[in-house]
Amino acid sequence: MSTTDDDTLPGIPNVGKADLDAMVENERPDPREELADVEADTDLGVAMAEDAQRVARGELSGDEYWEKYDEAAAAEFGEAYCETPNPAVDAGDQTVTTETAESLSCAVGSMDTVSTESAQIEGDESAGGIGAGDEKWGMVIDLQKCVGCDSCTVACKSENRTPPGVSYNVVMEEEHGEFPNVTRTNVPRPCMQCDNPPCVQVCPVSATYKMDDGVVNIDYDRCIGCRYCNIACPYGARYFDFGENYDDEVDGAGELTSPEYGVDRGSREEGKSPIGNIRKCSFCTHRLERGEEPACVETCVGDARNMGDLENPDSDVAQMADSSRAFQLKEDEGTDPNVYYLK
Amino acid sequence: MATQRSHFEFDPGFEDNRLRVAWYAVVVVLVAVGAYATYLRLTGGMATTNLTSVVPWGAWVAFYIYFVGLSAGAFLVSTMANVFEVEGMHRIDRDALFAAIISMAVALLFVWIDLGRMDRMYFPFIWRQLTSALSWEVHAYVAYIAILVTELYFSMRIDLARVADRTSGLRETFYGALTLGRRATSEESQAFDQRWLKRAGIVGIPLAIFMVHGGTGVLFAVSKARPYWNSGLFPVIFVISALLSGTALVMMIYVLRTRLFDGESVDPDLLDRLAQLVIGFIVIDAALTAIETFIAIASVHPHEIETWQVIMYGPMSWSFWWFMIGFSWVFPMVLLSKKSWRRTPSVMVLAGLSVVIGIVAVRFNIVVPAQIMPVMEGLPHGSYFPTLVEWGTSAGMIGVGLLLYTLGAETLPLTPITGGDHE
Repeated sequence: MSTTDDDTLPGIPNVGKADLDAMVENERPDPREELADVEADTDLGVAMAEDAQRVARGELSGDEYWEKYDEAAAAEFGEAYCETPNPAVDAGDQTVTTETAESLSCAVGSMDTVSTESAQIEGDESAGGIGAGDEKWGMVIDLQKCVGCDSCTVACKSENRTPPGVSYNVVMEEEHGEFPNVTRTNVPRPCMQCDNPPCVQVCPVSATYKMDDGVVNIDYDRCIGCRYCNIACPYGARYFDFGENYDDEVDGAGELTSPEYGVDRGSREEGKSPIGNIRKCSFCTHRLERGEEPACVETCVGDARNMGDLENPDSDVAQMADSSRAFQLKEDEGTDPNVYYLK
Repeated sequence: MATQRSHFEFDPGFEDNRLRVAWYAVVVVLVAVGAYATYLRLTGGMATTNLTSVVPWGAWVAFYIYFVGLSAGAFLVSTMANVFEVEGMHRIDRDALFAAIISMAVALLFVWIDLGRMDRMYFPFIWRQLTSALSWEVHAYVAYIAILVTELYFSMRIDLARVADRTSGLRETFYGALTLGRRATSEESQAFDQRWLKRAGIVGIPLAIFMVHGGTGVLFAVSKARPYWNSGLFPVIFVISALLSGTALVMMIYVLRTRLFDGESVDPDLLDRLAQLVIGFIVIDAALTAIETFIAIASVHPHEIETWQVIMYGPMSWSFWWFMIGFSWVFPMVLLSKKSWRRTPSVMVLAGLSVVIGIVAVRFNIVVPAQIMPVMEGLPHGSYFPTLVEWGTSAGMIGVGLLLYTLGAETLPLTPITGGDHE
């Protein structure tokens, strides 16, 4: 194949590096215009940004940069500057010398120490933390929209990195009638996060419990693996982690785990929880906490799954759960699920 | 031993030394198999079982409730002697209590190995859940074992003191220690023991019936998700089948230990009395099970009907027809039907053994079938048969029980000492 510049491939625009750079420059916002919108000094902002680029290119050292701007920044931003940890000062990965770090006006220490301290303060007040939100999470699944593609199951497995034999979400497929009058219903089944959960009732060590936001939590550090909850769940939503892995299918399958219930447990290792524990859908609590929808809701191709606050009457889920089409699975069990279906 | 026998009639243990060797060989093989299987279980985790998230409870749970039942039944037989003072039953008091203790220890071994996190076995004593039957049960088991040990102590102490008085050196230290320092052999001390034995028994009876075994039945019966278990009669049947297996076990132990350890002849009246108890329990057990089955089938609840179809016609139906109906009810009933057979030790050992084996199937048929039918249409059906690791560990834990029982029977005065200064 010829490689001359004139001989372009079909469908590929013939642009050089200079053209691309020009396009980027064209798109780049004007710094002065941008900074004019904020209260802070525009000249100082532009100067700091330009010098920061020099630091990045290696023309200026981190020490010189901070010595040059520390005073001006402290004068401009006051307390906000002094009480915010400087990203250049960090226990593990510090980019300025210790002397410079100590001479800076912001005296609160590194990012690490500040984040640890604030976490402790949150713990002391026993406010916040996982599952303490004001919402009461609920899910509404529109069976008319569900096409039975199982992508929720797949998204769940990849988000929560569940091992073989553990599947927080499944799609129950039911066929009714005889040919040619056959109907098929697909019923996706996550954990129902029941208001009266039989699993919580039977756990001998209270390792599973309702959180304020309505999600049923499992404390993997407390669960003894007796599987009584597994027996008690009327929805078959609980799975025991037998310690199997996808090692044959994927290299390093156990290296990454999902921070379920907001706890990062590092890599999956033999004899370490959640192996030997019961597991189930958590409504992707770790995603809810950072303002994201559960993986199954986000991925649903037909937009059949909805997540929201059931206690907020204006929310979509509360209105859908109130509609005449809404029902819960096994309503007569008295479990009062927070997962509603639209028939 | 020889020096003792010359001046004191206390020689527990096998009469026949060859039988002793053969028996210990069997037990050691069981324990060795169990040790290897347990090694595989510990290193391979729960993946070494055939359990799944659909059938999360299997052989270990079945054996656990089996041994809890055996223990509760044996204990209740012992109370006939020490609480209700049924004539002639005193002879089997300690046998029954000791068997009850060993059974309970074996039951707890089965619970332990069944935990996904065996290292957290003590957690139920740190964290509790008032609404959990299992949380209550673990506490009841501990209280119950304490009652059993207390009872055995008060039942056996005077004979321990007598033995300690007549031995010296290590043996004296051993038996003396078991008396907990109460070495008196006077009639007052015996009366004191009997009074406290009765009191412990009175506390123990409701504990065993309602908490330990009834409670274990409740543990299953509260599972609304499993209609097969979810009935009020279920815990009652649990207690009756426990009484059946416990009485059969005590009857068997009584004959075997009298013959093989004491070298004495069996009291046909006592044997007949135990045999009649077994008949009574078989009748009640079968009748209540029939009622339970009828109610389930008459409900026409699809889950109930399908579960009973699995039990009666499924791939494991042989365990229902041959073991549950055959070994625990019909076959022993035939052997117990004739008065002369009820007074024949060998026949009664066979009847007892038949029940003790048959009730294992009863326990399996409680635990497994309820998990075969999916809890919701569209979820997978369960299927379960234990792996070799599950069978091996089970054999090993039963072997440990047999070993502990044999060691106890070879050293402790389980037969009330007749002769000596109090006769």
